[in-house]
Amino acid sequence: MYAPLLANRYLTSRIIPFIAVAAVALCVALVIIVVSVMTGFLDMVRNSGKTLIGDVVITRDITGIPYYADLIAEIEATPEAEAASALVETYGLLQMPYGTGDGGSRIETVQVWGIDSASLDRVADFHDKLYWKKPTDALAKQLKPDDPRLDPEYQREEEGKSLMTRDGEPGLVLGIEISPFNRRTQDGSYRTENPGGRQDPGYFMPNAGSARLTLVPVSGSGNIIGEKKAAFRIVNEFQSGVYQIDAQRVLAPLDVVQRLLMLDESELKSRTELDENGRPKTIGRSPARATTIVVKAKPGFTPEQLRDSVNAAYKRFVTRSLEDPARIVKPPSLVTVATWEERLADLIGPVEKERELMRTLFSIVYLVCAALVLAIFWAIVQEKTRDIGILRAIGASRTGILWIFLRYGLLIGVAGSLLGVGLAWGIVARINDIHDMLGTPAPTWVKIAAWIAVIASIAMTVRGVLRASALQTVLWTFASIGLVLVGVVLFLHRGFLIWDPSVYYFSRIPSEIDAITAATTVIGGIIFSVIGASIPAARAADTDPVQSLRYE
Amino acid sequence: MSTLLDAVHVKKTYRLGKVSVPVLRDASMEVRTGEWVAIVGSSGSGKSTLLHLLGGLDRADDDSGPIRFGGEDLRRFSARRENHYRNRDVGFVFQFYHLLPELSVLENAMLPALVGLSRLRWLSSRTALKDRASELLATCGLGHRLSHRPAELSGGERQRVAIARALINGPKVLLADEPTGNLDVKTGGGILDLLADRHAAGLTLVMVTHDAQVAARAQRRVRIEDGRVE
Ligand SMILES: Nc1ncnc2c1ncn2[C@@H]1O[C@H](COP(=O)(O)OP(=O)(O)OP(=O)(O)O)[C@@H](O)[C@H]1O
Ligand SMILES: [Mg+2]
Repeated sequence: MYAPLLANRYLTSRIIPFIAVAAVALCVALVIIVVSVMTGFLDMVRNSGKTLIGDVVITRDITGIPYYADLIAEIEATPEAEAASALVETYGLLQMPYGTGDGGSRIETVQVWGIDSASLDRVADFHDKLYWKKPTDALAKQLKPDDPRLDPEYQREEEGKSLMTRDGEPGLVLGIEISPFNRRTQDGSYRTENPGGRQDPGYFMPNAGSARLTLVPVSGSGNIIGEKKAAFRIVNEFQSGVYQIDAQRVLAPLDVVQRLLMLDESELKSRTELDENGRPKTIGRSPARATTIVVKAKPGFTPEQLRDSVNAAYKRFVTRSLEDPARIVKPPSLVTVATWEERLADLIGPVEKERELMRTLFSIVYLVCAALVLAIFWAIVQEKTRDIGILRAIGASRTGILWIFLRYGLLIGVAGSLLGVGLAWGIVARINDIHDMLGTPAPTWVKIAAWIAVIASIAMTVRGVLRASALQTVLWTFASIGLVLVGVVLFLHRGFLIWDPSVYYFSRIPSEIDAITAATTVIGGIIFSVIGASIPAARAADTDPVQSLRYE
Repeated sequence: MSTLLDAVHVKKTYRLGKVSVPVLRDASMEVRTGEWVAIVGSSGSGKSTLLHLLGGLDRADDDSGPIRFGGEDLRRFSARRENHYRNRDVGFVFQFYHLLPELSVLENAMLPALVGLSRLRWLSSRTALKDRASELLATCGLGHRLSHRPAELSGGERQRVAIARALINGPKVLLADEPTGNLDVKTGGGILDLLADRHAAGLTLVMVTHDAQVAARAQRRVRIEDGRVE
């Protein structure tokens, strides 16, 4: 019966348990905050890689997959697939509408995607990725008055979605990093700047006229047929969130790219028979082809499940095509079906490595925190050795003694861990506000308040000296030094951004607590508190009372 | 009168690394029920050591003779029996009081009673126990300081709390190590009067002292010299 009495007394009649609670809370909060923000960030990087390719991708080389509309219908009929969209992927040269400065025009090597806007939007939210849109009211207030987006006649969003100008000319959507005039700013948005660094709507890409795209069609036997050129209007730009994609990829209408690459529907000529004019005989029509099919999973299905079902659907599609006499061109039996993670392994790999590195670093931080908690409890219990001797001398059992300190460790561990979770949650949920606050110079009233506090603190130091109180003098001296430092920093501080969106791709810091980390950290905090309290207590309970009582 | 406690050829050697300090070489003594015995000897002669052995707070050497309580050899005690012996059979008053600083006077005095109680029995006997402890403290002259902390008491008052704590479970023998050692003559006299009252009420008393005047209050004196009890 004495165990609860003593455990509670030890907790409430001294200051050291509060220090222990604070230490546990800070350790727990530290681990939760950093792990949550880092995993959040890595998740963001990883998932942004998924942009524009759905969950599963079927690819075939430049010879393409014929009758792909039928394949898409077959895939969309499976329970795992939500939507599918056909693409043509190739490389090309893009002659930009601006010059190199010495008369020629600048040419970029780009990865060209011929896309079907509506179905790609269903698979990969393509329309959300378009950058130049009608601004929201909030955004409109922030834009410079000459920003092209403020034009009431602003058509870029519609043009981008249809990949076509209002007058029916074919349009291109460029990755936002292709144009060197798009400069990413500190808030993560883009400004259109001329080479002098001035905001200049004249360099706004979608305004800047037409670009020429050069593609190289390849015959079924692998021979280059000769380059094809076409002029496009630049109608919009997109931001996927992955630099490698945004700096290289160009989106064009599927039918135009098919035509340029000679993957469109055409007459099929015989290689052996001649018609009455002595030309190769027309024996049917060759269907249009796509090189890539992207597929989105229905909610509740993993990419792996979808991949298997797409594989099966493709086999059915091949079998049916082979049996169908009307289909003269047969689909290839070999295609690559991969989940987005498999497809983007080279992009995701480094992120996964970083995550491993972080885990390793964090297990070290975790151990340091555990050692700290252990040390604190060790010191507290060590100080109680004499009490343990007394209790043993009046007949308390070893288990009884152990129970006191188990309770003690448990109470401190639970209180500290819960407080730590609360603290971590408070900080992580507001991490963007805190970051914004750090990012701007302190308001004048804060500076004034800080210096008033400095003066008050110095006055208290003087009071401590006058009253000949060593403790007060020491405490207030330290407080004064600290406050002076704060005051100076506030004055010098011009605002800094740790999370610079012009470097990172994301404008917000992840602000969600990682539930598993929080749970394991809380349990860890409690366990280490209990271990730290019970080992020295058990040791003390084992020694003879007389020995413990000699402990001074 | 029957023998309550007896020690036969007891040896105790302290070992500090390779150096061994033989403190008790051959100590034999006997305490009869209802007796008041004083153990005397110069400082460092091993008085406290002997009393700790009698109270079951320390172990004698392996080749030592037995210490018996009512004929039971203390060395044969199980852990449970040992706890019971310390808790119920003897009351121990330390040279340096050894109160728990976080507990009040009343709680310190009640502590040995709490040690033997389950939570359930505590709930049913709480008031009775508190009454018993405050009564005991009142007879020890501390009725007005029940909720004070030990740090707020004088040395003599602390010793009274320690005596009340030793008596709360109604032990068969009280072992007191220099109960007046740190007190002035007048305060010490008060403590001795308290012990004398208890003795008159039938309590067996073993008291360590190096003060001849204090020892004179006991019925019988044993002297430790050179590790031997004459
Ligand atoms: N744990 C120990 N380790 C080593 N030596 C010890 C230990 N405990 C006691 N001693 C030694 O044993 C001897 C006897 O100590 P003890 O405390 O029994 O003497 P005492 O007669 O009570 O003296 P005092 O009158 O000063 O209280 C001393 O020399 C002491 O240094
Ligand atoms: Mg002594």
